[in-house]
Amino acid sequence: MFENFLIREDSLRNECRGGHVIGFTLAVRNANYRGVYLSLHNGYYLAVDDVEYPVEAQTFEINGRGPRTFEELRGAVWEHWDFDDEAILHVGLPGGLTPGWHRIRFQQSVLAAYGYQPTDEEWVRNPPRPGSGAGSEKSPHIVTYEVALTEKGSD
Amino acid sequence: MTIRRGVSLYSYQQAQFFKELLLEDQLREVAENLPGADGIETIDELSFPYPDPDAAFVRQWHQWMERYATVPVALDVSMDVLQFRDHVMSYDECADRLRHDLQLAHTLGFRIVRCISVVPLEVMLAALPLAESLDIRLGKEIHQPMPLDGGQVEEIVAFVDRTGTRHLGIVPDFGILQFRPSEVLLDWFQRRGAKPEACEASVALALLIRNGAAPFPLPEMAYRTAGNLRSDLTRWLRTGECEPELLPLFSSVKAFAEAQVPDPSELDHTVVAEALMLSGTRPEHLQELAPYVVHAHGKFYNMTAVPGAPGDYDDISIDYEGGIGALVRGGFDGYVNSEYEGQRYFQDRTRAELADEVEQVRRHQAMLRRLLDRPTEAGVAPAAGGDR
Repeated sequence: MFENFLIREDSLRNECRGGHVIGFTLAVRNANYRGVYLSLHNGYYLAVDDVEYPVEAQTFEINGRGPRTFEELRGAVWEHWDFDDEAILHVGLPGGLTPGWHRIRFQQSVLAAYGYQPTDEEWVRNPPRPGSGAGSEKSPHIVTYEVALTEKGSD
Repeated sequence: MTIRRGVSLYSYQQAQFFKELLLEDQLREVAENLPGADGIETIDELSFPYPDPDAAFVRQWHQWMERYATVPVALDVSMDVLQFRDHVMSYDECADRLRHDLQLAHTLGFRIVRCISVVPLEVMLAALPLAESLDIRLGKEIHQPMPLDGGQVEEIVAFVDRTGTRHLGIVPDFGILQFRPSEVLLDWFQRRGAKPEACEASVALALLIRNGAAPFPLPEMAYRTAGNLRSDLTRWLRTGECEPELLPLFSSVKAFAEAQVPDPSELDHTVVAEALMLSGTRPEHLQELAPYVVHAHGKFYNMTAVPGAPGDYDDISIDYEGGIGALVRGGFDGYVNSEYEGQRYFQDRTRAELADEVEQVRRHQAMLRRLLDRPTEAGVAPAAGGDR
């Protein structure tokens, strides 16, 4: 669902901290017809120009709080990511991306489901890697976006 | 006995996503542009700040209901069993969430809470005393590929018959009366690279199944969801692994596809298997169960003009005439709410090519008016909806 619109097209920016470019950011939406408890959010399959950025390189900014790791979000069991709200995905990459067009391959993984599933116990022990389609029932295919990085970003 | 009409705001999910219609705009559309419709259904995690909207929001909601003369009919709630991430939620924990959502529904004035099809009855029964004390009816959605004659429905009917409670029942989704894959789904698959022959084979297989001429035995679908069955099939196509009881089905449908489609791809197999996602519900059975229906989801995928009948619309994949006739004949008293789901099959396209949810719901309401204003005609119409 919303396949072509999960990344806001003008949202790709480099991120600066203390005068250094530390990575890049994207504005993203929930790939479902409803919001979810934040704890269920399991990260992204993300490849930019064929370079993959694993969940460990990603942090997630929502609900007026600073970027949090997906390990931290597991504990946000009473906090909700509402359907209307855009979130900012931060990706660590010293030096950031070059200006111009980038090819982004993208899939969101949210462990929301219709009731009990055979995978439940396994996903408690070993959450699936985003990109396998697990946790992506409503958007089962990796989507490719062509996105321009137009601004340098700022502190 | 009256059948009233409403809209599930699920229908406007895309307009909400793009902030083209905010919540109040959606309510106004129902009130002002859908003659005779006044019912509002929605999903708590779609329309409201969840889990606990503040007092100002609640006040605003009630003001809107008054201003637009709309009725909060049903609140649809979910069950995500991995919320705590360090364990799978127990039935008690699921019932806690349901009890929370019942309180939320009560606060916002809804008289029905709809649970998704796979919520165990035990969870619903654990919340039933609260539902009774709030005078809210709990309904389990019966959604394709579940049939109406499966155990999920039987256990609810048995409980209601035994106890006499009027606070538990079923919410049939008109998707259970779907008899062929929707043309918008098939178009979406073709844009992804599926072959036209696979789409034709999918429709052909669906119609064979509908006419009782399935070329292979079909297993019990009562405890499955379409989403899970699709995932199971994909996994089997890729790895050869699946539950043993699904193996004969998957093998048969693969063989059917290989006979009909030149050099079928994984996607072509997926397309043909869409024929298995249909419930094959008979309208007569819906009629028998009408006393247990708390409300109905008027699911639809694409409303198109009826050839030769200006101003009339229908969904060529769903037997609405049979379904509405069944509810009328069965004496159903309650709401049928438009639930448009076709928008997702355009979202691989550009913004300008997206579906017009507002127009689709208006057409659906026009169809419901046509069918309900001629109850006698609908009531005696043949159950078959036509195989166009």
